[in-house]
Amino acid sequence: MTSDPRDPDSASGRDTEPAAERTSSSAESAIAPGGSAAEDVTSSAAGAGEDSAEAAPTRRGFSRRGLIASAAVAGGVGAVGSLAGFGIGRATEANSPRPPRADTTGVNGEVAVPFFGEHQAGIETAPQAHGEFLAFTMKPETKNAAAVVRWLRLLTADAAALTQGTAPLADSEPEMAADPARLTVTFGFGQNLVALAGSQAVPEWLRPLESFSIDRLDPQRSTGDLLLQICGDDPLGVAHARRMLWKDSRAFADIAWQRTGFRNSYGTKGEGQTQRNLFGQLDGTANPGMGSEDFSRLVWGRATGRTDAVFSARGEPPTDLGEALPSWMQGGTTLVLRDIEMNLETWDEADRPARDFSVGRFVDSGAPTTGTDEFDEPDFTAVDDRGLTVISAASHMARARDGLGPEVQIVRRPYNYETGAGGQSGLMFASFQADIARQFLPIQRRLAEVDLLNVWTVPIGSTVWAIPPGAKDGEYVGQTLFGG
Amino acid sequence: MRKNTILKSTMPALAMSAALVLGLSGCGQSGSQSSASEPSASSSSASVDASASLTFDDAWVKAADEGMTGIFGKVTNTTDADINLVGANYDGANMVQLHETIDDGSGSMMMQEKDGGFVIPAGGSLDLEPGGDHIMVMDMTRPIKPGEEITVELVTADDETIPATAVAKEYTGAQETYAPGEPDAASDGGDGMDGMGDMSGMSDEDSGDK
Repeated sequence: MTSDPRDPDSASGRDTEPAAERTSSSAESAIAPGGSAAEDVTSSAAGAGEDSAEAAPTRRGFSRRGLIASAAVAGGVGAVGSLAGFGIGRATEANSPRPPRADTTGVNGEVAVPFFGEHQAGIETAPQAHGEFLAFTMKPETKNAAAVVRWLRLLTADAAALTQGTAPLADSEPEMAADPARLTVTFGFGQNLVALAGSQAVPEWLRPLESFSIDRLDPQRSTGDLLLQICGDDPLGVAHARRMLWKDSRAFADIAWQRTGFRNSYGTKGEGQTQRNLFGQLDGTANPGMGSEDFSRLVWGRATGRTDAVFSARGEPPTDLGEALPSWMQGGTTLVLRDIEMNLETWDEADRPARDFSVGRFVDSGAPTTGTDEFDEPDFTAVDDRGLTVISAASHMARARDGLGPEVQIVRRPYNYETGAGGQSGLMFASFQADIARQFLPIQRRLAEVDLLNVWTVPIGSTVWAIPPGAKDGEYVGQTLFGG
Repeated sequence: MRKNTILKSTMPALAMSAALVLGLSGCGQSGSQSSASEPSASSSSASVDASASLTFDDAWVKAADEGMTGIFGKVTNTTDADINLVGANYDGANMVQLHETIDDGSGSMMMQEKDGGFVIPAGGSLDLEPGGDHIMVMDMTRPIKPGEEITVELVTADDETIPATAVAKEYTGAQETYAPGEPDAASDGGDGMDGMGDMSGMSDEDSGDK
C-alpha cells in the first residue's frame, strides 16, 4: 500500500499533530516481510528506519503518553499499538522484534472498555471492527417518561454487563457474553425522546438537518427516537449484544432502521490506523487523536485544563463549543449520522488520477497530492506547471477544510456497509461534534455546494442525536435528563 | 401450604428501591431499605448486612400482564447454619409458591411446588432460574411491566423475611408445564396462561437439564 518512504521531514512534520493514533502509524511498516518489528508507538518515524531516534518531538507532542500501552498483539502480523485510555490494555514489552505467531489464546476477547464514566464509551474509543446502528421508534403506549426510564434502566444494565463480559439478567445465552472484545454500547437520544422530559430540555439543534441539494433521503432511514451504536471487535459478541438489547427494547419500541457496519478486522491493521472506505480511500485522516486536547474541545466541548496541549495544524479550537449543549448534556456530545450510499459501479469508471484529483489526496497513501505522507499538511496554494492549483478547489479535501477555522472540525467514526455483491454499498458516516451549527454545518454546506466526490456519493439517510453523558455506576444513561 | 402469606398492608410501604440485593433480617424493617445502595445497573452484589441470613442476588421477574410468572435469582446463605427457605411474599399476586422443576420422563420439564421448601446449606447458595427452581407467582392482581422493579420477600422457616427487589425482564422462556395432579395447576391455570407463557406446549423448552 503505502510505498512512499517516509523521510525524516515528513515524519517530523507530524510534530504538531497530537493525534494519538498517528503515533502508531508506523505499524504499517511493521507488517513488511521480514520486518515485523513490534514498535513502541512513540517511535513513529521508524518507517524510514535510520532516524527513529529523532522521534522525540512526536513524543513530546503526545501529552497523554503516559496512557499509552504498547500492546504486543500476536494477530499474525506483529505489533499493534494500543491505547490504554479505552480499556484494559495488555501491557507487555513491545520493543523486541518477534516473528508473527498464532494467537492461540484470543488476546483481544477479554479486553473490556469501561462502561461507566464521564463520557459514554464508543466515541473516544479506537473504532472497533464491527458497528451496529440500531434506531428505535417508541410505541405509542410507552411514549411517556416513566416508560422510557424503565427502558433506559434495562438497556443500561444490559450494556454495563455485556461490555464487561458479564451476562445480563435473563440472558438466554450467557456464554456468548463472555468475550467482550472491546464491546461498547453508545446511546443517542432523538428529539421525541428528549421532549418527554419537557420541551425545555430539547436543544434547538436536535432536529433534522436542513435539506441539502445532494440529499436523496429515505424518510424511513431518517427517523428514530433512540439510537444504539453497538461496536465491538467480535461480530458474534456484537450480534449477541444487539439481540439482548433488542429483546429488552421490543416492549417499548419498534425498530426504525438498522445498519451493520464494518471496518478492518482486529489484528489486520495496527490500531489507530486510518481505515479505508469501500472506495479504497483512507477515511478519517484528519481526526484529532483520542485523548488529545483537540478531541476534548471538539467533541466534549470543553478544555481539559492541561497546559502542555499541542494542537493540530488546523489551529487551536475554541473552548466554548460546549455551550451548544444543554446542562443535562454536559459530558455528552452530538452525533450526526449520515447514511451515504457509495456508487461503486460509477466509481469503477473513474481511473486513478481522477480518484486522486476528486479528493485532493492520493488514494494509495492518503497523502495530499502536494505531499507524500498521509499526515502531511496539504498545500492548497501549490500550483502545477500549468499554473493550476495541485489540489483542486473543488476537491473533497479543499471543500471540507480550506479556509475554515479551527472550530470547523469534526470527529468522524465511520463504518462501511454493503448488502452483497452488486448490492448496496455505503458508509455510515458518524460525525461527533459538540456544536453542530459551528462545526458540522459549515462543512456540510460547502460539500453540498461543490464536492467532486458528490458524483459518486448520495446521502440516503440522515439523523441527529443528542449523546447524553456517560452514567455513573448505579445510574442509567439519561439520568441527567429524566432524573433518578 | 405456603400460599397467600402476603403482607398486603406492609408491602406498599416498601420503597421501590432498585437495589438488586437487600439482605435485611427481621420483619417489617422496610424503613431500612432507604439505607441500601442506589440501583446498581450492573448485576453486582450489594454489601451484605452483618445481620442478614440470606441475600437475593441478581433477582429478576419475568414480565407478565396477568396470570402467573416466575421470580429468579441467586439466594445465598451468609450464615454458618443451614437455612430453610419456605416461602416468598409478593403483594401483586394472590398466590406465591416455591417451585421445583422436574423431568417428567418424556423430555419435558414439569414444575411443582417444592414440599418443605429449599434448604440452603451454610455458606451455600441456591440458583433460582428458568427451567429450574424458582419462585412461582400465580393469580397476579396487576401487571408486571418490563423494567419495573417489584419488591419481594423471602421467608425462612424461622419466619424471617428478607426483602429484595427484582427487575422485570421480557422473557419468553420459563414455559414449564405443571406436574399432573398439582392442585394449584387446575385452580390457577384457567385464566392465567399468559404469565408463564404457553403451558400446553412445552415442546422446545428443555433447558432445565442442559
